[in-house]
Amino acid sequence: MLAKRIQPMVFQARRLYVELMFQVMGRALQAVSEIDSAVQKEARALPDGFLFEMMVMPDGSRLIVEHTGNGRFHYHGDSAPRPVDLSIQFKHIAHAFLVLSFQEKTSVAFANDRMLVDGDISYAIRMTRVLNRLETFILPKLVAKRAVKEYPSNLHLPEKLLSAARIYLKVATHFVETVRA
Amino acid sequence: MTNQYYEFFCPVKVIAGKAALEHIPYELTGLAAKRPMIVTDKGVRAAGLLDPVVAACEESGLEIISIYDDVPPDSSTDVVRDIAGIYRSEKCDSIIAVGGGSAIDTAKAVNILVSEGGDDIAAYSGAGVIKHPLKPFLVVPTTAGTGSEVTSVAVITDTTKSVKLPFTSSFLLPNAAVIDPRMTLTLPPHITAATAMDAMTHATEAFTCMAKNPLSDAYATAAVKKISTSLLQVMDNPKDSDGRLELAQASTMAGIAFSNSMVGLVHALGHATGAICHLPHGLCMSLYLPYVLEYNLESIRAPLGELLLYLEGPDVYSATPASRRAEASISALRKMRDELHKRCKLPRTLKETGSVEEHQLDTIADMAMDDGAMMFNPKEVSLDDARAVLKRAWA
Repeated sequence: MLAKRIQPMVFQARRLYVELMFQVMGRALQAVSEIDSAVQKEARALPDGFLFEMMVMPDGSRLIVEHTGNGRFHYHGDSAPRPVDLSIQFKHIAHAFLVLSFQEKTSVAFANDRMLVDGDISYAIRMTRVLNRLETFILPKLVAKRAVKEYPSNLHLPEKLLSAARIYLKVATHFVETVRA
Repeated sequence: MTNQYYEFFCPVKVIAGKAALEHIPYELTGLAAKRPMIVTDKGVRAAGLLDPVVAACEESGLEIISIYDDVPPDSSTDVVRDIAGIYRSEKCDSIIAVGGGSAIDTAKAVNILVSEGGDDIAAYSGAGVIKHPLKPFLVVPTTAGTGSEVTSVAVITDTTKSVKLPFTSSFLLPNAAVIDPRMTLTLPPHITAATAMDAMTHATEAFTCMAKNPLSDAYATAAVKKISTSLLQVMDNPKDSDGRLELAQASTMAGIAFSNSMVGLVHALGHATGAICHLPHGLCMSLYLPYVLEYNLESIRAPLGELLLYLEGPDVYSATPASRRAEASISALRKMRDELHKRCKLPRTLKETGSVEEHQLDTIADMAMDDGAMMFNPKEVSLDDARAVLKRAWA
């Protein structure tokens, strides 16, 4: 009985968590593309104006970023200025929660058919590498190990801490700017 | 509670064995089809492989309305449009693909156009675009390797944009795959070897990559066992129709396995090598398989060790310490490649192919990094890792 009463609140909390994580990730993608040369190198292969979306089916939370050129991403929030070029879609919010709460690696989620790719698969692979790179920076090593297939052995603590601090600072600034606007 | 989750799907009826072709009329009648079109290539026709298919249908009073036998090795959107035009003008109502990967993929794409309408196959490119069942469709494979008869994917080249268009939908799957040993009996030795190693790679990667699951494992191990047992026998005695049937069934089983568990780095490197150096897919698979298994070794030690049972049999498996079984599996595959090299000069290194230049390795590695199969490789692969594997495979 109690579980039945609590269930709607659990669902609501899960939905809010996924929405918040998308907002953080979108801003963090923009931030990491401003500070990390490896991410910039990956992003440069995408066409200028390329719109990437990550969303929960059928019409749930989403994040949209655009490659504005020269390896830089711009976070558009949850609405795209035109049809997106690549969409990674979670089949259900429960699957998005598994990935965004780091209970399931992104690669495992793909292997488990939790997500669909609508668009060029090679760009999806590239964006996954960018997301992995971002996660290794912004998550504590123990958590990052749960999120990515393999934690990079050449990422040392000083670089990780410095990059994470810069990304979080930019994310926080962006949040404040959004609130002010 | 375990986090394991998997999906498995294969609705294709498999019709296999002696006189399997003679089941085609019955199967088509069961699908209410009376005016079939055959899609094939010149090589199949020249080898006389079309004759038993046509005879089997005519003997049952089923007339083949049209035969298109000009599918190129790398099929294009123009070819698909032309065939769809013939299908419509001849008022056909079903398709029989007879051939290897290209003929089967072309027939799948033709089936999209004639079922969904229009002339622009590119409009249906991507995953999940097709929402309805297509026209009755049978596949008769003439190679034992690609497994295309049980995969829900087709790749067609868009000649105007010079890109490869992927089509993915469960509706692309044929109603039935007809596996008759007569269709592979005349395969030349080097194609027999390369296509069998293609199937071996499908099964091995299906069993060791990230999306492996209990059902795909069952198909993969059975396929490995059949290929290990029959391949060299068939190489020594090409007219061994039992052995041919074993290889053809193994190819279908490996196809079912990998289409439900995906493949990894061998395919990523193989796709790139095929695109850049125009090497046959099966050859690329045979070439890279042991080098990639060595690269992945520590991530796949348990399943790779288990494969030894199917590669070498119970005696060798039980005599090999558990800690050495994974290495022994790689050795067994190397031994098989050496035997194939002895029998038909199937290259074991990139240098032996004579078609790859060392300076192309970096380009191959770059392209492989963006291949979809990379996602399912059990070990993360950096650009340097891919280059290192290619260097080892060079000579």
